[in-house]
Amino acid sequence: MSVMLTKFESKSNRVKGLAFHPTQPLLAASLHNGSVQLWNYRMGVLVDRFEEHEGPVRAVAIHPSRALLVTGGDDYKIKVWDIRPQNRRCLFTLHGHLDYIRTVQFHHEMPWILSASDDQTIRIWNSTSRNCIAILTGHSHYVMSAQFHPKEDLVVSASQDQTVRVWDISGLRKNTPNTAPGTFDTFDNFSTVKYVLEGHDRGVNFATFHPTLPLIVSAADDRQIKIWRMSENRAWEVDACRGHFNNVSTAIFHPKHELIVSCGEDKTVRVWDLTKRSAVQTFRREHDRFWVLAAHPELNLFAAGHDNGLIVFKLERERPAFAMHADTLYYIRDKYVRAYDINTGSDIGLLSVRKFGSPYIPPRTLSYNPAERAVVITISSDNGLFELTSLPKDAAAEVKDSSVDGKRGPGHAAIFVARNRFAVLNKTTQLIEVHDLSNSVVKSIKPPVVTNEIFYGGTASLILSSTSSVVLYDIQQGKTIAEINTPPVKYVIWSADGALVALLSKHTITIANKNFSQHTLIHETIRIKSGAWDDAGVFIYSTLNHIKYCLAQGDHGVICTLDNPVYLTRVKGKTVHCLDRSARPRTITIDPTEYRFKLALLRNNYEEMLYIIRTSNLLGQSIIAYLQQKGFPEIALHFVQDKNTRFDLAIECGNLEVALETARTIDRPECWERLAQQALKQGNHKIVERAYQQTKNFDRLSFLYLATGSTDKLSKMQKIADARGDPMSRFHNALYAGDVLGRISVLRDVGMHPLAYLTAKTNGFDDLALEILEAAGLTEADVDDVPSFGVSTLRPPPVVTSTADLNWPSVSSGESYFDKALANGLENGPDVPYVNGHDTSAAATSALDEWAKDEEGQDDIGADEDGWDLDAGGEEAPPEDEEDEFEDAEVDLGAGAAAGVSEVELWARNSPFAADHVAAGAFESAMQLLNRQFGVVNFEPLKSSFVSVYRSSHAYLSPLASLPPLQLHLRRNPDESSSSRILPVAVRTIQSVRSELSEGFRAVSGNKLPEAQTVFRSVLHALLLVPISTDDEAKEWRDLVTLAREYLVGRSLELAAYFTHCQLQPAHMQIALRSAIGVFAKANNHATAAKFARRLLELNPDPKIVAQARQRIAAGDRNPRNAVEIQYDEFTEFDICATSFTPIYKGSPSVRCPYTDATYLPEFKGKLDSLLHLTEIGAPSSGLPAPRS
Amino acid sequence: MDSSELYHVKQQFTLAAYKSLVDLTLPDPNSPDYTPTLVYQARAHIALEDTAGALKMIPSDSENVALKGVAALARYVGASDETSKDAALEELRDLCVEIEGDDADAEEKEKDTVKVLAGTAFALAGEVEEALETLGAGTSHENLEAVAVTVQIYLSINRPDLARKEFERSKRWAEDDVLLQLIESSIALVTGKDSYSDPDSFYTEQLANPSLSSPHLLTARGVTRLLKGEVSGAKSDFEEAVSQQGGKADAETLAAMTVAAGLGPAKQADVEQYWSQLVKEYPSHPLVVDVAKKSSVFDELAAKFEVPPVA
Repeated sequence: MSVMLTKFESKSNRVKGLAFHPTQPLLAASLHNGSVQLWNYRMGVLVDRFEEHEGPVRAVAIHPSRALLVTGGDDYKIKVWDIRPQNRRCLFTLHGHLDYIRTVQFHHEMPWILSASDDQTIRIWNSTSRNCIAILTGHSHYVMSAQFHPKEDLVVSASQDQTVRVWDISGLRKNTPNTAPGTFDTFDNFSTVKYVLEGHDRGVNFATFHPTLPLIVSAADDRQIKIWRMSENRAWEVDACRGHFNNVSTAIFHPKHELIVSCGEDKTVRVWDLTKRSAVQTFRREHDRFWVLAAHPELNLFAAGHDNGLIVFKLERERPAFAMHADTLYYIRDKYVRAYDINTGSDIGLLSVRKFGSPYIPPRTLSYNPAERAVVITISSDNGLFELTSLPKDAAAEVKDSSVDGKRGPGHAAIFVARNRFAVLNKTTQLIEVHDLSNSVVKSIKPPVVTNEIFYGGTASLILSSTSSVVLYDIQQGKTIAEINTPPVKYVIWSADGALVALLSKHTITIANKNFSQHTLIHETIRIKSGAWDDAGVFIYSTLNHIKYCLAQGDHGVICTLDNPVYLTRVKGKTVHCLDRSARPRTITIDPTEYRFKLALLRNNYEEMLYIIRTSNLLGQSIIAYLQQKGFPEIALHFVQDKNTRFDLAIECGNLEVALETARTIDRPECWERLAQQALKQGNHKIVERAYQQTKNFDRLSFLYLATGSTDKLSKMQKIADARGDPMSRFHNALYAGDVLGRISVLRDVGMHPLAYLTAKTNGFDDLALEILEAAGLTEADVDDVPSFGVSTLRPPPVVTSTADLNWPSVSSGESYFDKALANGLENGPDVPYVNGHDTSAAATSALDEWAKDEEGQDDIGADEDGWDLDAGGEEAPPEDEEDEFEDAEVDLGAGAAAGVSEVELWARNSPFAADHVAAGAFESAMQLLNRQFGVVNFEPLKSSFVSVYRSSHAYLSPLASLPPLQLHLRRNPDESSSSRILPVAVRTIQSVRSELSEGFRAVSGNKLPEAQTVFRSVLHALLLVPISTDDEAKEWRDLVTLAREYLVGRSLELAAYFTHCQLQPAHMQIALRSAIGVFAKANNHATAAKFARRLLELNPDPKIVAQARQRIAAGDRNPRNAVEIQYDEFTEFDICATSFTPIYKGSPSVRCPYTDATYLPEFKGKLDSLLHLTEIGAPSSGLPAPRS
Repeated sequence: MDSSELYHVKQQFTLAAYKSLVDLTLPDPNSPDYTPTLVYQARAHIALEDTAGALKMIPSDSENVALKGVAALARYVGASDETSKDAALEELRDLCVEIEGDDADAEEKEKDTVKVLAGTAFALAGEVEEALETLGAGTSHENLEAVAVTVQIYLSINRPDLARKEFERSKRWAEDDVLLQLIESSIALVTGKDSYSDPDSFYTEQLANPSLSSPHLLTARGVTRLLKGEVSGAKSDFEEAVSQQGGKADAETLAAMTVAAGLGPAKQADVEQYWSQLVKEYPSHPLVVDVAKKSSVFDELAAKFEVPPVA
């Protein structure tokens, strides 16, 4: 069993010394051939070589905080090197030892170098003064090693004289002597042998201190490793580890765990348990003897040097086993399954797995099953084990141990494949077994390829990883669905929606869709560690030293660099959640702008792109280059301010206007030339003209005018040419323009008389020809020998259609989204409400806005109070439900299996509330309940409520073809399983009724009394069918009934006055008073109106209303009498009869409605209540039953 | 083991992806898959209430018992009057007798299919006892489809205990078939076991199934969510189901939407709109029938109370 994980290996001459860099991934190795190598073991490259020693170099060390390297060789020299690449060199050499140097070491805080030599001495050097400051003598043979104590002023040394010695050097620190070299006699005062440890039978090769405990470990040629303990005044041998069968070269303590790691000439590296002194594991090498071993001071990393090079290895996997579900991370740290909530940051231990597998090996994988809240864990010890355990519901004080109810078995990989199934891979037998939760095998699968790993593959599927491919395998069907060739896949990560999957290998990522029909492959040179999907569907992954992203189409890039590898678990917006090497959850904030932008670009989501542009300060040259390279120059154009780039982009995407504009600002000839070329290609000759003009490219300009048939411009060109005094140009233009006279004159001007003559002659200008002859001093006779040509018909073709003002028509590209957005300025572009969870508050804001709008709407209604005109309103006809009448066809069930108790019967049985009986369809008992509890006698108005409650309490589903659907019953307590407690869903709740009631209030404020009346009535209807579960609810129920009733009584306008006595909310009270004032004033009852006005004033209304009220009071004062007498005594407390609206003063006899408790005059007893038309007034009733809890 | 095509056909049928199943092209008539595929396709037609389509597919002169069974079921489902219904039932009864005989030269699978078809028809006709008898309820057969029908019949007569027994029995040999999981989830839908976690995870898992998509699954999950009390989640499932059905909700979805609308804080108008649409388009849906029945019961009962004059 070897769980040593080799991270890096190099081939070289024999390695005698090794030293890790404390922070960087660097390792110094000193070789037998005299070279010192500096490796970057993470990248696997040789960084540097130091070759000044003669003969083998055995000793090497790196300074704990400075870029210094010290080496000691068989040439007796100690050299100190600067290892910074820019000034790497040997800083100085320390001379003094008289034989081979075996080990060197820097002190952790003092500028001291410790060296051990075959000259039987140990020396301490001051690296600042470069002097030897101490010589420790006493060993009687080669000193094979010397090490500082990590904290105290002690040194431990090992020698071929079979002893290990501990030296006290505290004196050295107190009075660091700065004496000149050569005065050795002073040293012995402060460096004394503290202990001499005897016990080894042969020479001792190495000894070192434990990092924290008072322990020493030594390795000797007697093939033993000895552990020694120190106290204040003595030291003794504790035990020995036997097992090496040749000389042990080095033994060191594990920096973190209670382990000893040793290596020897028997070609093994061995790991021992420090407490039990028993061998834990052995790693053998075929041919190479091991000479040296080094531990990284911080990380779980070791290096061993052997005959042919070195290896860097880990003893255990650092990758913590973890699984993510929703926002909870389940992971294993120090053999505990823990749950970490990424939102709240709560991190609790749930389960101990200490007794599972080898105690030295952490579990390898964890698969979580949310349905059962169970985990399947695997471990690589004992040839692979799995364990299925359920997690406790809550973190208990005492963490459960998995051995209590865990179900175990052999297996190399185990994962959940369904809520109640998990698959276990046995690599040796190549068998995948599907287990159910009781751990019995329900199915065995022979995988189609040699499978090393299995992963969840979507519903009823597995992903099998072989050495050269991954296979998507259907468990049900037992066949391969798809196969992709990849290097061995180590991890599989599904996107949140299950549509995409990332398959991670050592150096490749394959992104595939869920049935593997499409996939892309990404190569990475650095080892890939982990990955997680962003909410937007971008895959974020980590390598040894980077966090990177990758889009589904394969585009990828770096997000940030990492000092140490992390294991990504979840990406949420800008936050990357991960586990570090010691399995501690941490978060890294990243800038997702770049990949979001690219994603938006791919999806043509310009709004989001614009949003990103607006809100981030991204967009350097790289993104522009990216856009250009991806074929979106026109988009890039919008991001560029730099005019040169802008011009380039404009030319590239053919946007001539922008190009022209930028060319003007740049105004350099080469720009104009490129613009001209591009414009010519597109047939925009106006811009071509413009460009030629700018560059004074007269020839081309002329030709352009010829081509476009622009004759007047050509003649202008002639003039220009004239002015420039360029005859050639003049000639050209004259030729293009068909201007023969012009041509002739040019020819004459430049003295080309023969040509001028001929031109004139052939074009029929004989007079002119003569003139030329004369000017040349010739006569016609002199040119007799010139053959005579006919009149030339050559002339420029006539312009058929003038295109001088027309550009070649090109398809209008329209105004792009960006043009519009950018034209408005980036700040006031359209709102982008939602970007990838980046700005989720926007949605909430818009909801608020809508709500605010609603509010405004209500205010409008309220403001319309002047139209307050009370209207008794016609009675609303109770809504008639038209339902098809069906015969009650009893379904006759056959014998055989007798029908059981239906759930609806249970409902009715379990509840005293009419609502629940209605939901159960037991209308008869529901009616009886209502009658008994509230005296309801007229059910007609309740019909629609009954039907809708019943309707919403049952759902139908047909799981099987052609069979009648199953009737399913909706419960209000779905977590309840006991049949004596299940209750139907609450279709109407106190809450829903309350919101309806507030609608009624709104209608009152808006002076919509008939509507309000309907609402209040329906509220009271609904309240009859609200099931109550607590006493508080019962109280609230009663309050609601009363409130609705008060409003309903008060609605009647003819009794506006009484309305004012109802207990209304202040705002509504104002309305009531004002309406009363209005009505009474109209009726000339000025006295009463004035009284109301006074009451109104008490409520502090608006100034305007105050003025009106004062008017009324004044009118009342002027005319203090009432035209109509009504029964209204404003001084006594009274109730209002809901039918006759007459006051029933305190103490007078009355009867009440059994439901709403509305008051009636005694004469109405036995009649139907007038408010709701439901109950018999004064009937005996039991009231609301007590809730059953 | 079925060939993968047939497996796929069966899976589509089990998960109610009838529309895509109907659109499949039939395999070569000489292929061993031909008849089973034809049977499933015809049954899908019937499930879509397109009995004419089913009958058209089946050659009238076929001697195959399974095909004859399908045809009879199609006639039963499509029949408008009692006589033709009875005739179709008789036909199925005869077929059942035929396959019981030892000399019947039908394959075991076809016999199983006939039992399922006959059981379905008997259940539709309300002949529970006969249906259970035909399906071999309580006996030790290995006909998973028959188990499924049996379980549903048990559930419909409120005997989840018997349903569970039947299910437990088949668990031993059914190798974790999709249908078996469906049965398990149906039982949990009725009993509410573990807060409906079985159907919830079953339908969620199947929705992620790469090899098919069926709006029924969405509706079914929506109904599960309704049962779990997650009304808004249910509504979004229904909406997505409707959009997968091309904007026109089938009876099942529409009925579920009506129920859901009545539960949330929805406007009364929406509820009534769904309801009237349901009543108009699917007047025979059990919800419509049941509510109508209840409404008349209401009237009858209300009439028993004496209503005094209004005060």
